[in-house]
Amino acid sequence: MRRRTWTAAKVSAAGLAAVMLAAACGGDDDSNGDSSSDDGAAAGSDEQVELRFTWWGNEGRAELTQNAIDAFEEQYPHITIAGDYVEWGDYWDRLATQTAAGDAADIMAQEERFLREYASRGALLDLSEYIGDTIDTSELDQLVLGSGEVDGGMYGIPTGVNSFAVMADPQAFQDAGVEMPDDQTWTWDDYVATATAVSEGTDGEVYGAQDYGGNEAGLNIFSRQRGESLYTPDGELGFSAETAAQWWGYSLQMQESGGQPNASLSAEVQELGSPEQTLLGTNKAAMYWAWTNALEALSTASGRDIELLRPPGETENERGGMYLKPAMHYAVSSQTEHPEEAAMFLDFLLNDPAAVDAIGSDRGLPVNVEQRERIAADLNEFQQAEAAYLEDIADEVVDSPPAPPVGAGESVDIIKRLNVEVLFERKNPQEAAEQLISEMEAATG
Amino acid sequence: MNGTVKESATEQQPDAAGNSGRRSQRNTLAKREGRAAYLFLAPWFIGMLVITIGPILGSLYLSFTDYSLLQPPEWVGLDNFRRMLEDSRLHSAIVVTVTYVFVSVPLQLALALALAFFLDRGVRGLAIYRSVYYLPSLLGSSVAIAILWRQIFGTEGLINQILDVFGIQGEGWVSHPDYALSTLIVLNVWTFGSPMVIFLAGLRQIPTMYYEAAEVDGAGGWTRFWRITIPLLTPIIFFNLVLQLIGAFQTFTQAFIVSGGTGGPADSTLFYTLYVYQRGFGSFDMGYASALAWFLLVVIAGFTAINFLAAKRWVHYGD
Repeated sequence: MRRRTWTAAKVSAAGLAAVMLAAACGGDDDSNGDSSSDDGAAAGSDEQVELRFTWWGNEGRAELTQNAIDAFEEQYPHITIAGDYVEWGDYWDRLATQTAAGDAADIMAQEERFLREYASRGALLDLSEYIGDTIDTSELDQLVLGSGEVDGGMYGIPTGVNSFAVMADPQAFQDAGVEMPDDQTWTWDDYVATATAVSEGTDGEVYGAQDYGGNEAGLNIFSRQRGESLYTPDGELGFSAETAAQWWGYSLQMQESGGQPNASLSAEVQELGSPEQTLLGTNKAAMYWAWTNALEALSTASGRDIELLRPPGETENERGGMYLKPAMHYAVSSQTEHPEEAAMFLDFLLNDPAAVDAIGSDRGLPVNVEQRERIAADLNEFQQAEAAYLEDIADEVVDSPPAPPVGAGESVDIIKRLNVEVLFERKNPQEAAEQLISEMEAATG
Repeated sequence: MNGTVKESATEQQPDAAGNSGRRSQRNTLAKREGRAAYLFLAPWFIGMLVITIGPILGSLYLSFTDYSLLQPPEWVGLDNFRRMLEDSRLHSAIVVTVTYVFVSVPLQLALALALAFFLDRGVRGLAIYRSVYYLPSLLGSSVAIAILWRQIFGTEGLINQILDVFGIQGEGWVSHPDYALSTLIVLNVWTFGSPMVIFLAGLRQIPTMYYEAAEVDGAGGWTRFWRITIPLLTPIIFFNLVLQLIGAFQTFTQAFIVSGGTGGPADSTLFYTLYVYQRGFGSFDMGYASALAWFLLVVIAGFTAINFLAAKRWVHYGD
């Protein structure tokens, strides 16, 4: 009975979605007309407006974000923001469901792999008309600002800048009697050897590294080092099966040498999203690949002074593969009844000193360059380390990867799944690489 | 409604001249009561139409469309059903689901019957045992239990800690593609409580005189079980079988939570319904997901029909 209700729920959700979508479409003209005629008055009036803001992340981020919300509500007493968050994995399922049901939050965190999908299907508000008047972008980092553009419209505004790096625990290296690698020159073989040495040095108490094979940002860097890339500017796949096979080849080498855990532990931790659950966060591994804005969370979770290392192989091949990425985007639902107020809130998050102070570098180093410089001195040690790292690599970053095509969000699960097949040796790297390409082509085609 | 209206109309006419007074009075009363009944049924009826039947028909329509959730559906005819033939993940989902159904349901029913039989022998505190064993059925498909399961069968979970005492290095059961499905089968078998309670009720209904007569004739425990208990219990076994089979085909929550929604490791717990969910809400492929859901409906209906046909051969209704 309980199980049966699921199918019923699913079916009814689909049907309801259709009904509500129809209703939303039908009502669109009206509500848009209403709200735009109200806009001028509403923005200045004292009419109480409630907005919903949803994002992914852990409790720490929720606390920081709530502080920013509080500051906003203080400045704009007639606007209330109801914040709401879940983990990354659940976030997208929920957002899709809510969007289809016409119940999406007014303001949402977006990510580049999903932004195009949502924008091109009419789920997001084109912010172009609010830029200038309501949202001031003059101080925002122009290099990443363009990442929110889809088909000539502005659908997302980047929250901050990020880069994918190797997080290393110096304490674990010391315990193992292994020297920290020179990240300017280390090769992929060095990476494997270093990880293996840490595992050996601690008699397997601490693994050299958590398996990296399931994250496509790493594969992107690996491909770029070989003159390829995950996607081409035309939205095609830009990497070869040989490259993906090599990528998993190193991972298998690490598994065999003991530099990373056995397959079942690797598969288990791969699904655990939050920093507190990673092997690095629980002091069971010395290295872990992550986005730079996770530095603080990982340092706090592990209780160690985690250091940022460049990915291995940056000087080994044709070129470097590191890149800067917008950490996430703020976007506004096309179904919102209060686009003006939502835009005001975005402007506040991006430009207001109070919001920047509250959030710090949790969503990447502030995209507002002026604010980034202003808070540089006030940043805590982790945020400063992150800022310093990003500044260090800025000159080494060759270029930005093109925006991922529609359907790119699916690659997240595809690559994780095939990684597990490789780790358990149910598929060899070459077979997995070929399947990766055919599945990603199907998803983005 | 139509029936009653017509009936009263045809009845009324020949009597129109005679004593129509009392009859028409009675008829209007009946009509009024009928109307009242429908009025009281209305909330349920409207709910059924709007929340169940409407969406079901809606999904039938959607199954012939390309529908991305965010945009209006587009008619594509039978494309979604053709796609199913070549979808290798779907095929592995079918293998996973069928394996699960045909392993876990018989095991669960056997355990339920064995325990019901044992409890029926007259155990002190039967009510307590019955409640205790029934409890997992209430909890089994809950999110909390699925999370608990992931902990118990995790790399550092309870099972491995116990194995560790005996010097055995256990696997991460939930994260190993060879074992993950087994942990879910164990979970389903563990929820044997509801079929057990039904078996228990069935056992109670078997007249003791059959057993007494058999005992007089010298039949042993096993013979009595196989020749009296089982045959007389077949309607109950059949009922449980149909119910559990339908339920098992639609397993979702456990797989969703234990695998974190991925059906992993390596699609080893990718249940059919989970795949439907992934296509629909993960890949914005609601048209295809609707087609998949309808295919499942047809398959379940097919299995149930086979069950009913086969039942004629082995189910005895006591006469």
